[in-house]
Amino acid sequence: MSSSLVSPLGRIAVLPSAVADQIAAGEVVERPASVVKELVENALDAGATSVEVDVEDGGKRLIRVSDDGTGMQRDDAILALARHATSKIRVASDLVGVASFGFRGEALPAISSVSMLRIDTAPADGEGTRIRSAAGELLGAEPAARRRGTTVEVSQLFYNAPARQRFLRGARSEWRAIADTLTTIALVRRDVRIVARQDGKAMFTLPPARDLRDRIAALWGGPYAERFLAVDDVSGPTHTCGLVERPADVGLASRRVHIAVNGRAIRDTGLVRAAEAAYRSTIPAGVRPALFLEIVMPANGIDVNVHPAKTEVRFHDRWVLERAVEAAVRRALGTFDSGAMFGRTAWPAAAAPVYGSPPVDVEAMRPAFDADGPLFVDEEPMETGAAPDSREPAAVDEPVPPLLQLRRTWMMFEAGDGVVLIDQHSAHERILYEQFMGALARGDAPSQRLLFPLTLHLTPEEEEAFESNSDLLQKLGFEAEAFGGHSILVHAVPAPHPRFDAERCLRETLASLTGDRFAAVHARHERLAATVACKAAVKAGDALSAGEMRALFVALRDTTLPAHDVHGRSTIVQLGWDELERRFGRR
Amino acid sequence: MRFTISREKLQEGLTAVAASIPTKTTLPVLSNILVEATEKGIRLSGTDLDIAVSTEVAADVEQVGAITIPAKKLSEIARELPPSPVKIASSGEQRITLDCGRSHFKINGLPKDEFPSFPSVKFADSWRVKSGELQKLISHTSFAVSTEESRPILNGVLWELRPEFMRMVATNGHRLAKMEVPVSSSGAPQTSDLIVPPKALEQIRRLFPADEELEIARGENHLGFRSPFTAVYTRLIEGPYPNYDQVIPKDNDRVAICDKIALASALKRMSVIASDQTHRIRLSFNSAILRFSVQTPDLGEATDELPVKYTGDPLDIGFNAAYLLEILRYIPTDEVRLTFKAPERAATLEPEGWSEPGKYLCLVMPLRLVD
Ligand SMILES: Nc1ncnc2c1ncn2[C@@H]1O[C@H](COP(=O)(O)OP(=O)(O)O)[C@@H](O)[C@H]1O
Ligand SMILES: [Mg+2]
Repeated sequence: MSSSLVSPLGRIAVLPSAVADQIAAGEVVERPASVVKELVENALDAGATSVEVDVEDGGKRLIRVSDDGTGMQRDDAILALARHATSKIRVASDLVGVASFGFRGEALPAISSVSMLRIDTAPADGEGTRIRSAAGELLGAEPAARRRGTTVEVSQLFYNAPARQRFLRGARSEWRAIADTLTTIALVRRDVRIVARQDGKAMFTLPPARDLRDRIAALWGGPYAERFLAVDDVSGPTHTCGLVERPADVGLASRRVHIAVNGRAIRDTGLVRAAEAAYRSTIPAGVRPALFLEIVMPANGIDVNVHPAKTEVRFHDRWVLERAVEAAVRRALGTFDSGAMFGRTAWPAAAAPVYGSPPVDVEAMRPAFDADGPLFVDEEPMETGAAPDSREPAAVDEPVPPLLQLRRTWMMFEAGDGVVLIDQHSAHERILYEQFMGALARGDAPSQRLLFPLTLHLTPEEEEAFESNSDLLQKLGFEAEAFGGHSILVHAVPAPHPRFDAERCLRETLASLTGDRFAAVHARHERLAATVACKAAVKAGDALSAGEMRALFVALRDTTLPAHDVHGRSTIVQLGWDELERRFGRR
Repeated sequence: MRFTISREKLQEGLTAVAASIPTKTTLPVLSNILVEATEKGIRLSGTDLDIAVSTEVAADVEQVGAITIPAKKLSEIARELPPSPVKIASSGEQRITLDCGRSHFKINGLPKDEFPSFPSVKFADSWRVKSGELQKLISHTSFAVSTEESRPILNGVLWELRPEFMRMVATNGHRLAKMEVPVSSSGAPQTSDLIVPPKALEQIRRLFPADEELEIARGENHLGFRSPFTAVYTRLIEGPYPNYDQVIPKDNDRVAICDKIALASALKRMSVIASDQTHRIRLSFNSAILRFSVQTPDLGEATDELPVKYTGDPLDIGFNAAYLLEILRYIPTDEVRLTFKAPERAATLEPEGWSEPGKYLCLVMPLRLVD
């Protein structure tokens, strides 16, 4: 993730004005946070492995950033204060795929013009330079010993621009902006140690982190980091990785969104929306997931020189990129691991015991195989006689763990890291939904012809729902025709599973589709598939045989989003061994 | 109430009745067995309110009386008793003592008045049927009943009694099984159409030896079956049953005769690739070859071939393989005769060259094929 940020070019030079003019001009210094951003980025561009930030009075009185980077020679340090002086690019073509944070050479001059500035810098331990300026005037450049690296100290920001000073907010609010800035940088540059103090008090101390989850844990605590699923997907030249919130946890803690492209944190609603689109049908409408996504793509597919603060970029093929991000997130959500974690939802950790939710009622009911009466008529042949044994051949796929039905509502099994509960109705609904969406796309739903056509008497609203959806119903396998007098005659029905009650399903579907006439085509597909799936799925309270549970399990495993039902509720809840051990006082 | 019974007789009686006791019930007395001691012996009864089973076993009755006892506990005790005579006596309205060898039990029960009374069925107007014939009908048809709640009539088996024959029909609307046998038993069967829950038929099939003559009588909403010692009562499902005769094709002009086992094994091979949910496969008949094919998105495809005797124009038709396999399981002959009209019309399956008296016919409706 980290890009090499040490300048390959070395010395600072003033850019020819033609090049300088091509660079989007803009005011980089708006408030203390923008100063912090520029200074920390400079430190990182100088190859620092450790950056310390000190702030007083929300940065209004003092901002000091110290690094252990390359440092500057005396002449370079003086030149750094000149407008468009940069060591990072030389000619316009260097702008393509620029890897450093800075490249415009305008931050230090801009900062120095509105503050009192002091730079202590040394390219090696010992022989260093101290430069002072005020309101852009160079006051002095004297030798000063220090360790290798640079310390830039900005005091009395806007002391010479009272109009702008008046626009600064209170210290707390300025600090919050600084903290946001540092957080964004900390997420991108996890390899760097970052320490921040406000008025002498340590605000955060982030050691170099192994990975994104570690850094998130260092920033907001371990339990918060646990709520994320890993994303890691390559699509064409685009590599998307990072962490996204488990759907069951969405909306329960503050939503944080972080998007980085080629190591640069950016703001981009299009990419956020693409990632959120992947959650479709897994979370209720209106709630939005926390996202930490990092995209690596060819440098020539992206133009970073759009915004002075460089937080917005332009993509040459935005559509392809957004689809890649959506697919990557969707893939992450399509794992059993994306099921809700029991007891992990009570963030923030500061509030009361994190694992304080009441225990799950795990009253194991009689397993379904000795339930009264066979559920499938063909399950127990009444006569085996000389007739060939036509039992289904045993599946040879991945092993299915032993499943136990609880309260005729959930299937329970043991997985690697704990106990997993699957809601049977939600699971079946998800399976059927995907099956029906496929059938709507391909138009090949199996349709079982009926010996005795069904006659359904409909209300006028239901009749209207039937008429406006009859093309889709047909694709799903319902062959029906209007019969006059608010009746329809059904000749063929889908056959999604042996318990399927076609008449009830069609009735309930039409009843709940009333008033749905003008929906958009895609929405209409999804709505119909979701409605029929809901009506066709086994219900809570249905006893399932061992064979049915296995079939459900296997089919669920093959869906794209096993852990979430079509209404955004959890299909899978996990209870980790660690959590169990905690509850039993074994930890 | 006081009687002595052999351990074997007690177990025999309990086994007969146990299957009629519901495993889960909101009415506690239904999980009990009714024990009645009469001059003739003892009678054990159980019911889930839809079906009631009652059986008489020989015992030495000292004092008549009745009580209800938890069925499960009594069965478990009976299973573990030493091989000695079992003495059972009531001690009060709600408790019995059970003694066997040196074992002694006191079991709490419920008064006999709480036990639901049996449906009134007058065996004076009964007719007689050979148990074996009934069992043959049941086992070849009742598999085809529907389990959908929205069509309760199809949850039952239609039993048609006619002067010369009797017939059972069951269907779930996708497939149908129909069998008739000539009536050879004594007595004068009435003409009657009954819709019987398959659970009751299963009890009949299980409880009565094949060579026993059964007395059958109809009450208002109930049907009773009786042998000298055992009786089964069941609720009847209210009709009318759909007119199945109308959907039995009379003009199917494409006919195939196949080896049953070869056909079943090809279907099973195709089922591996067919979708788990719909089991859809395609059958293509062309002169002497039946070609099977199946395609399932994301899984794969398969084909197979079977030489058959086929007359008629070539035909492509889709089926739920599970329905075909299930029917083949009940076809009593080595060869099966299939007839068709068109890809959207009912197909029939019948035994080919069946020597026994009787007629067996199954129908299957096709699944839509997409080209
Ligand atoms: N902390 C630092 N360590 C080493 N060099 C620095 C540091 N800060 C600034 N510089 C030098 O000063 C130059 C000007 O910085 P700046 O005005 O922020 O422009 P830019 O970062 O866009 O190049 C940089 O190109 C870099 O060579
Ligand atoms: Mg810079």
